[in-house]
Amino acid sequence: MYRFMENENGNSEPAFQPQTSTGEGLITMKNIWKTYQMGVEELHALRDVTFRVNKGEYLAIIGPSGSGKSTLMNLIGCLDSPSKGEYWINGNLVSKMTDDELAHIRNKEIGFVFQTFNLLARATALHNVELPLIYAGMRAGERNEKAQAALASVELGDRVGHKPNELSGGQRQRVAIARALVNHPSILLADEPTGALDSKTSVEIMALFEKLHAEGNTIIVVTHEHEVAERAHRVITIRDGQIEKDEKIR
Amino acid sequence: MNLAETLKLALASIMAHKLRSFLTLLGMIIGMTAFMVVLSLLQGFSAYVDEKIAGIGSSSFTVQRFNFEDFKDTDSIAAAQRRNKELTFDELDFIKERAQLVSYIGAKAGNTSRDVRYGTETLAEVSITGAEPVIGIIDNIDVEYGRYFTESENNNSMRVAFVGSDISTKLFPQGDALGNEIMISGIPYRIIGIQVAKGTVFGQPRDNFVQLPIKTFGANFGGLKWQRAPYFVVMAKDGVKMADAVDEVRTLMRIKRKLPTGEKDNFGIVTPDAISGLIGSFTRAFSIVILFVPGIALMVGAIVIMNIMLVAVTERTKEIGIRKSLGARQADILRQFLFESGLLSAIGGLMGLILAFVLGIIITKFVFPTKIPWWAAVIAISVSAAVGILAGLFPAWKAAKLDPIEALRAD
Repeated sequence: MYRFMENENGNSEPAFQPQTSTGEGLITMKNIWKTYQMGVEELHALRDVTFRVNKGEYLAIIGPSGSGKSTLMNLIGCLDSPSKGEYWINGNLVSKMTDDELAHIRNKEIGFVFQTFNLLARATALHNVELPLIYAGMRAGERNEKAQAALASVELGDRVGHKPNELSGGQRQRVAIARALVNHPSILLADEPTGALDSKTSVEIMALFEKLHAEGNTIIVVTHEHEVAERAHRVITIRDGQIEKDEKIR
Repeated sequence: MNLAETLKLALASIMAHKLRSFLTLLGMIIGMTAFMVVLSLLQGFSAYVDEKIAGIGSSSFTVQRFNFEDFKDTDSIAAAQRRNKELTFDELDFIKERAQLVSYIGAKAGNTSRDVRYGTETLAEVSITGAEPVIGIIDNIDVEYGRYFTESENNNSMRVAFVGSDISTKLFPQGDALGNEIMISGIPYRIIGIQVAKGTVFGQPRDNFVQLPIKTFGANFGGLKWQRAPYFVVMAKDGVKMADAVDEVRTLMRIKRKLPTGEKDNFGIVTPDAISGLIGSFTRAFSIVILFVPGIALMVGAIVIMNIMLVAVTERTKEIGIRKSLGARQADILRQFLFESGLLSAIGGLMGLILAFVLGIIITKFVFPTKIPWWAAVIAISVSAAVGILAGLFPAWKAAKLDPIEALRAD
């Protein structure tokens, strides 16, 4: 059983070796740098990050705040572009894409699950789930069917007409998960998915993630909670903008 | 994201803040209402003018001493007074005998103002004119009681009068005007006909007149000269273009007056087109000035919309972030906000139009006829939508350009 260890010193850790697992490489990050210009100083949020994620993996990215894990998540989610390096997702070279091309990739390849759910408050659960399909240009009838099915798969088939404020936190996160999955993305990218939930609901959501993983979805969870990371099959630890550890734990 | 989808979204956003949307639109509504009311007044005015003024015997034109152009400045008035002789009955006969394209031609004279008396009652400042009997046909005069003049009454300068309905109702409240005698400057005239009431045009009563046979008028009011000089009213034959009849009459007048080719007319011909053209040029100049004010209101309305759209973009930064994370492209966001401001503004325009329409009905009922032409309504809606889109351009561009990460971080 994996025991998560907070590495206080980090001096005795071996240098990170890029994982070279077999199978189809869904995500490949090669020598990724993200640098912010702060006045005259350059701040490296990510330094030379390289890793690969295969289809069907369940990966947790963990690290203390300020470690660069949010920057990495934004890059994985195609919300941002790296300063240097190559990022491939499902055969697309994302690192050189324009804003609109990135939007297309987000729509097709990424399903986001956020800590604060990020549902549109004024829209029903159904409409929220339909959103990615609307931007994919799908017709209303087909869209409705798919969104209904996605909500049913997270056991919210009877809540389609409810607005977020009429749903509990766990239900809202399940709507968000349904929205993330409705367009069959390559990866489900979750950012602190249980951060705003009580422990009982957190367990439910994590169980749902495991179920989705078992059904063949590739899941990446960015978190600082050990309990959440322990559910994954592989954990990448980020510190000071670099990968400190990359371990398979089950 | 298709258009219907975007439109639905825009409508939902507007309806989510009904009061705010309405308040935002107040400027637009007031501007559009003012614009349309003013426009409808102008349209009503010109329709009214066409109908009431130019429309009087619209198949006839007049030959008179002066031309419109002669009044442009004092020099040309003086020159025209020297050059242009008074029209004569000789000239009338000359045209009458020779014109092929003219069905009727008759002389009118006057507009002298006199008091008209019956018993102890006096009507002050009544318009007195003279006319040949044929004018009854040319001017298509509506006789309510009695008849118009006969040739023999004219030829014998008989003291008979055809009067407006004001004369009969005010001097003869019993309704016994026909056959009675009215006194003008101490001379009695027997009323032989009363015209159907015509109402007023711009506050000018059109029923307050006495018309006499032109020879009677000449004999009793100091001769048919100076301001009492005759002018001719001409009616073109059926199926003849008025312009052709005008040309013919002008040519005959020039022949009669022995004007060499190239020399200017020393008389004037006034067609209904010329009158409505003249009034039209007045209304156009007037329109530009008067439409400028509501135009400013519209502009202020547009600025308010732009302001509220900027607020909306700031308020909905998070929403924009969410949409972007789900795959909305810049164009999707841009279109969403443009549609919203365009639709918002168009709704304002529509409300303004409806309000203007209602006001128009009220104004027409109590004050003055108004008219909103259908094209103006179409333009009003399109213009307000265009104004909204224009006003939304900058806010929408700001929204489209938002960084998704920053936007998602917003509250």
